[in-house]
Amino acid sequence: MATKFGSTGRKLWQLLSSVKTGVILLMVVVITSAAGTLILQRPATEPDEIERAYSPQVLRVLDAVGLTDVFHAWWFVLMLLLVSVAIVAASVERFPNAWRYFARPYKTTDESFRRALATQKQIPLKNEESGLVAAERTLHRMGFRPERLVGEEHISLFAERNRLSEMAVYIVHASLLLIFLGGIVDGLYGWRGFVSLTQGEPVNQIAVREGSAKPLSFSVRCDGAGQENYQDGTPKRWWSKLAVLENGREVMNKEIAVNDPLVYRGVRFYQASYGMTGKMNKLLLTATPASGTGQAHDIALSLNETLQLDPDTAVQLTRFIPDYVVRDGQVYRRSEEPQNPAVQLLVKSKKLAKSVEVWLPRIPEVAQNQASPYSFSPRDLQMGYFTGLEVSHEPGQWGVWSGCVLMGIGLVVAFYLVHMRIWVVPVRGAGGDLALWVGGTANKNREVFQQKLAKLVDQIQNELKQRETESEACETKHAISMVGN
Amino acid sequence: MARARAEQQPATTGMTLIVLVGLGVAFLLFMAFLNVVKTGNVLTESNLLYAALIFYAGAGSLYLGFGVTGTESYVKFASLATWAGLLANTGAVAHRWYAAGHPPFASIYEMLLSFVWTLAALTLVAEKKYGVKVIGTITLPVAIVGVVLMQLLPSEVRPLVPALQSTWLHVHVTLAMLAYAACALSFALAMMFLIQDKVETETFMAGTSLFSIATYAGILTRFENGGLSVVAWDTANKSEAFLSRGVRLFVVIPDLGWLMVLGLAAAAAPFAVYLYARLKKDDSFLPIGDRAIFVSLLLEVLALVAFLIRARDGQYGSLDAEGLFPTSLKASPFILSGLVGSIFVSLLYLMLLWRRHDLERLLPTAETLDQITYKTICIAFPLLTLMIAAGAYWANRTWGSYWSWDPKETWAAITWLVYAGYLHMRITRGWRGRRAAYFAILGFAVVMFTFFGVTYLLPGLHAYA
Repeated sequence: MATKFGSTGRKLWQLLSSVKTGVILLMVVVITSAAGTLILQRPATEPDEIERAYSPQVLRVLDAVGLTDVFHAWWFVLMLLLVSVAIVAASVERFPNAWRYFARPYKTTDESFRRALATQKQIPLKNEESGLVAAERTLHRMGFRPERLVGEEHISLFAERNRLSEMAVYIVHASLLLIFLGGIVDGLYGWRGFVSLTQGEPVNQIAVREGSAKPLSFSVRCDGAGQENYQDGTPKRWWSKLAVLENGREVMNKEIAVNDPLVYRGVRFYQASYGMTGKMNKLLLTATPASGTGQAHDIALSLNETLQLDPDTAVQLTRFIPDYVVRDGQVYRRSEEPQNPAVQLLVKSKKLAKSVEVWLPRIPEVAQNQASPYSFSPRDLQMGYFTGLEVSHEPGQWGVWSGCVLMGIGLVVAFYLVHMRIWVVPVRGAGGDLALWVGGTANKNREVFQQKLAKLVDQIQNELKQRETESEACETKHAISMVGN
Repeated sequence: MARARAEQQPATTGMTLIVLVGLGVAFLLFMAFLNVVKTGNVLTESNLLYAALIFYAGAGSLYLGFGVTGTESYVKFASLATWAGLLANTGAVAHRWYAAGHPPFASIYEMLLSFVWTLAALTLVAEKKYGVKVIGTITLPVAIVGVVLMQLLPSEVRPLVPALQSTWLHVHVTLAMLAYAACALSFALAMMFLIQDKVETETFMAGTSLFSIATYAGILTRFENGGLSVVAWDTANKSEAFLSRGVRLFVVIPDLGWLMVLGLAAAAAPFAVYLYARLKKDDSFLPIGDRAIFVSLLLEVLALVAFLIRARDGQYGSLDAEGLFPTSLKASPFILSGLVGSIFVSLLYLMLLWRRHDLERLLPTAETLDQITYKTICIAFPLLTLMIAAGAYWANRTWGSYWSWDPKETWAAITWLVYAGYLHMRITRGWRGRRAAYFAILGFAVVMFTFFGVTYLLPGLHAYA
């Protein structure tokens, strides 16, 4: 029984770890995700649009199999998990061999190895040592670091470059798993929501997509928001000044804009929308004494605020009407849109011992302006704005980004770094004549490597020739000096 | 077999072709001349682009001329024309960059500008470095369709909307254009490989037919009561007309739908002949297929002309709103490029049919082509990966989520997966030659769908591209 299970287990393992299974799984993912873009998806479309597009029967079937929300369907997630398992299985299956190859490179050169190697050359040689030295020098010059290996019969050289290239596949696959892991963490613990802030009012709850409210351990307050336009009137920039409050104390503030969010404790606030609340924020106006003597004041008032203009006179902003209309000497509110705004000021004067109502702009039927000790001219009406913020918490995104970086590195290593290995050993041929055997392999770009090896052999030969002439010259010199004696 | 069929080819058809191409180039020159007269300024971006178009078209027709006559010197001149086109194209890119103040990646027009530039540059690299002399036969028509499309797309420099003001956008789009151009090159190389690998000419016939079927089927998704539904044009704003925010207004051009159905039928005929011949195991039907391709080419030209005449201007009724609304070619760039593209593909097939031996003589060996195809994909794949990563990072900074399964995103992932599949099969299972080449072609088909198809058929977040 145990063996039987063992054999089915092994079969399952073999199936999972085969590249063919992996590619077939990838293609299934391809087909289902393509279907997910062609069939209208529930999260992205209005319910009535989807009902218009498909007949009720079809829609029922699509809903039942999850084709109207492919990317969140259990079977799609399961498939991605299967892909991950297949990657892990394929790696586990192949990694030990590759690691052995990576950690203990094959450096010695026995005869059967030499016979099997595809790229090799032999250089006739007189002296073992001079051949090795020439090869060492040439390899050094080409950027290798040859090492000497003392074998039973002879000394040999081994040099290699970019051994990491053998591990590239595992780097890439590990990075993919890291990205998946990040995605899974976000799927389980991440959330997205939306919050609308009006100026000055702190908020510590976020409406999450799924419908519930998410309490935050801190609150955010908007201290200002605005829009900048291009000359042609199209929006150039939206911004909001945000402050983060913890226990009522401001711990952080930042002006965010589209593309530049605020991040606090892993919660990210994005500029998403922007608009007017219909309430006024501040009115800037100039107050000039009606008598003509004295100084004009530039003042700013918010609703219900009172301001002292001189020791005797104070002004209060008592009413704000965003869209006014006058009927029978009365001011009415027509709508909440700030299209035709009016404000009422109350000017209190101790000297005159009375209060005067002043309307801005001047409304003839209800005007009391003449009686006011000050005349007012408005300079700017600043409306209250709300700013809409997308809020997200993605604890897994660091897995995703490090995975992306790792994958970039892995792919560069995989495609552009070539693991080259070169062996050099003096050998005796069948006739007993000495030769320097030079052989090598590369794990990709073999033609280029062959050229490289041919160049290496050429250079070793040159080096040898040079050394021979040098030593001959040396011998001659030696002989001459002997004669001289 | 192929030789026998090549010899059946009457010389007169070749002449017709030359005349057609010549007329086309003359028409373009005339339009360019009109443009210069109108603006009185020679070195503008649109004139530079026109120059690029004329040179690319010249190079393309020289390749076709080579196809018809087999004169090798044409290929050399074609290469020269490509250089000239690239130069003009560089000028247009530089002009655009200077005028807009940002690299030309912000709208689909600007992206096409960069894409065509990269493609032409890569074509010359493949020619010089790898000796694939006739690669332009396939890449240049792609470039030409790109430039034609650019003539129609809204090209005025628009200020960047807030979401697009990011360095990551430039990184993302640069990588996308480089990757897509590399994919286009790998596709061309894979086609060359198939030619050199003695794939039967009728297989190409079936492929040509399939391409046209796909194009016409795509266009016919807008079939409406015998008419063809196209986006209305807002003449005042020089943009597509909208019913409400994000909902485009469609008008129906009557009867054009039936013509497109006819085009689909004609496009499907060669494939049907191919299937029938395969099932009956009788090759004597195949010449009928070649004739059917010729018929469908004529119908494609007819459909294009009819579309040009009817959609250029005129007022048409809409199903969604009362009254008549204008439309313009500018509102239907994808239909137009689809029509032009399928004509090019049919022409290329005829060229293969007639001049296969000359092509084979000029191409490197099948093995070399196979190797270069793989190398190009080795360049394209890391670029695709980084493109997706940069896009995700940008999305995360802008929308607060690095992946939202929007159609463009999903299709970019699909492209990546297809090429990943190719690499796995090639590296671990030793897929070489034909199977690898078919995989590379599939990969490029997916790239094209991601680039054009998604924008045309599947709306989503990538509204500006």
